[in-house]
Amino acid sequence: MKLHSNPWLRTAYARLWVRAKSIYGEPLWVAINIGFPFFTSFSFTMVYRAYGLGSYAGFAILGGVMISFWGNVLWSMASQFNWDKQVGLFEIYISSPASISAILVGMSLGGILGTAPSAALVALLGWAIFHPAVNPVWPAVISVFALTLASLYAMGMALSSLYLAYGREADSVNEALHEPVSLISGVYFPSTGGFSPFPLAVQAGASLIPLTLGMDALRRTLFFGQGFGEPTIDLELVALAIMGIVLLFASSKALKFLEDKGRRTGTIAVRQR
Amino acid sequence: MSLRAIAASIRVGWAREFNWTNPLAGFTLRTVGPLASVIAASAVYYVASVHNIPPSFDPSMLAYIIIGAALYTHVAAYSWVPTLAIAEGKWTYVFPQVYIAPHSSLPYLIGRTLASFASSTMTVIVSLILSFYALSSIIGTGIPFIVTPVSVSLLILAMVVNIFAAFGLGLLLSAYALFATKFEWALPTYVAGLLMIFSEALFPVSLLPHPVSDIANVLPFTEFMRASRYAMIYGDIPSYSLYLGLSVLGGLIFLGLGYAAFKYAENRARRLGVIDKKTA
Repeated sequence: MKLHSNPWLRTAYARLWVRAKSIYGEPLWVAINIGFPFFTSFSFTMVYRAYGLGSYAGFAILGGVMISFWGNVLWSMASQFNWDKQVGLFEIYISSPASISAILVGMSLGGILGTAPSAALVALLGWAIFHPAVNPVWPAVISVFALTLASLYAMGMALSSLYLAYGREADSVNEALHEPVSLISGVYFPSTGGFSPFPLAVQAGASLIPLTLGMDALRRTLFFGQGFGEPTIDLELVALAIMGIVLLFASSKALKFLEDKGRRTGTIAVRQR
Repeated sequence: MSLRAIAASIRVGWAREFNWTNPLAGFTLRTVGPLASVIAASAVYYVASVHNIPPSFDPSMLAYIIIGAALYTHVAAYSWVPTLAIAEGKWTYVFPQVYIAPHSSLPYLIGRTLASFASSTMTVIVSLILSFYALSSIIGTGIPFIVTPVSVSLLILAMVVNIFAAFGLGLLLSAYALFATKFEWALPTYVAGLLMIFSEALFPVSLLPHPVSDIANVLPFTEFMRASRYAMIYGDIPSYSLYLGLSVLGGLIFLGLGYAAFKYAENRARRLGVIDKKTA
C-alpha cells in the first residue's frame, strides 16, 4: 500500500513531519532540551559516586535519558491537544477528515524522533564524563527500549484525551505529575525489586506505570547482563506490550467519548483561559 | 518605588498561581512536585549508601540531602518568576501594559517574585515536614533535624535573605527574556539544573573539578544552603551567621548585577522596539 493513497498514513506522516521539523529545523532546541535531564542526571550520578555505589552511576545517566522521553510525553503529548485547542488548531483537526488516532500516532513518532538527539546526547555526555560500568545484552536492551517507548507514548495518548477536558489547570497537573511519576517509576534508582526503598504495596502500584517496568527492564538488560529467557525480563516485556495495547485502545475510546460529548454540549472548541 | 504597585503585583502573582482552582487544590498540586523531588533525591542516597560495601548510610547525610533538595526546589521555583512574568506577559499582552505604566516594570517583577516566594516557602516547609515523616517511616530511621523555634526561625531568615540572590538571578534572566522570542521558556530549567549542581544541593561542591568548584564555593546559593544546614542539622550558630552573612553579601552583588543588566536591557529593548515582540 502506497503512503499517499492511505489518508490515515498520510495524516500520521504529516503530523510526524511537523513535529520532527520543529526540532530539527532549529538545532539549538537539542542543546536547550538537554539541559534539565543532563544536569539532573549529573547531580544524581555525583550522589551515587559521592556516597557509595559509584559503579551504579549509570542508573542516573539512564534516568536522564528516559526522563527526556517522559518529559516529552507529558508536555508534548498529554497536554498537546489542550494547547492546540487554545490556539484553535483542534477545531481544524475535528472538522477535517483526518483521523485523530493518526494525528496522535504521528505526534508520538515525531516526539520520539525529536527527543532522540537530546536523549542520545545525555547518554553520550554521561558516558564520556563518568564512564559507567555496563554489561549490555543489546537485542534485549533495544527490545525493552522500543516497547517502553511504545507503551509510554500510548500512555501519553490516553492522557491527551483526559487533558482535553481541562482548561488552564492542564499545566499545573503536568507539573504535579512530572516528579511523582519519576519518583515511583524509579527513573534514577530502582523503585521495584530488592534494591527498592519502597514497601511492597508501593512497588505493586508503581508497576502499573509503563515507565516503572521499562526502567527496571532497562537496568537489568543494560547493567546486569540479563537478556531474553530471564523470567523477569520476559514478564516485563509481555507486560509492557499488553500495557501499550490497552492504553492505545483506551486512548482511542476516551478521545471518541470526549469528542462526542464535546460536540453534543458544544464545548469541543471552547478555549478555557 | 511604589509599595502599592508591589502589593498589587503580589496579588496578581497570587492570582496567577492559585486562581485556576480552589487554593487547597492549587497548594496540594504545587506541593506534590517538591515533595517527590526531595524523596527521590533521598532515595538515590539511600540506595547508594545502603547497598554500598560496607554500607555507609548516615542519617545526618540523609538530613543534608533532604534540606538541599527541598531548598533547591524552593529557589528554582521562584527565581524564574520574573522571566515567566515577562515571557508569559508578552503573549498575554500584560507586560507591555505594565511597561507603559510609569515606573511599573520593576515593582511588577518584585511583586510577582514575592508572591511566588511566599507560596514556594509554604510548599517547601510542608514538603520538608512530609518528607521527614515519609522517609522516617519508609527507611525506618530517625533523621537528625533540629526542630526548635530558634532553628526554624533561622531557616526562614535564611530563606528571606536568599531573595536578594534569587531576584538578582531572576533579573539577569529577565534581561534576556525581554529580547527572546523562543528559548526563554527553557532557560529557567537550564538554570535550575545548574543550580542543582553548583549550589551544594545534593553533594559538596568540593567534589567538582577546579576552578568550577571555586566558583560554586562562593555563590550566594551555596552559602544559603550551608547556613540552612547549620540551622537545621548542625545547630552551630556562629557558622550559620558566617554563611548567612556571605549569602547576604553575594546576594547583594547578584542583585546589583541583575538590576544593572535589567535596566540596560530594558532601555535597549525600548529603543529596539522589542518590548512587545512575540515572534522571531
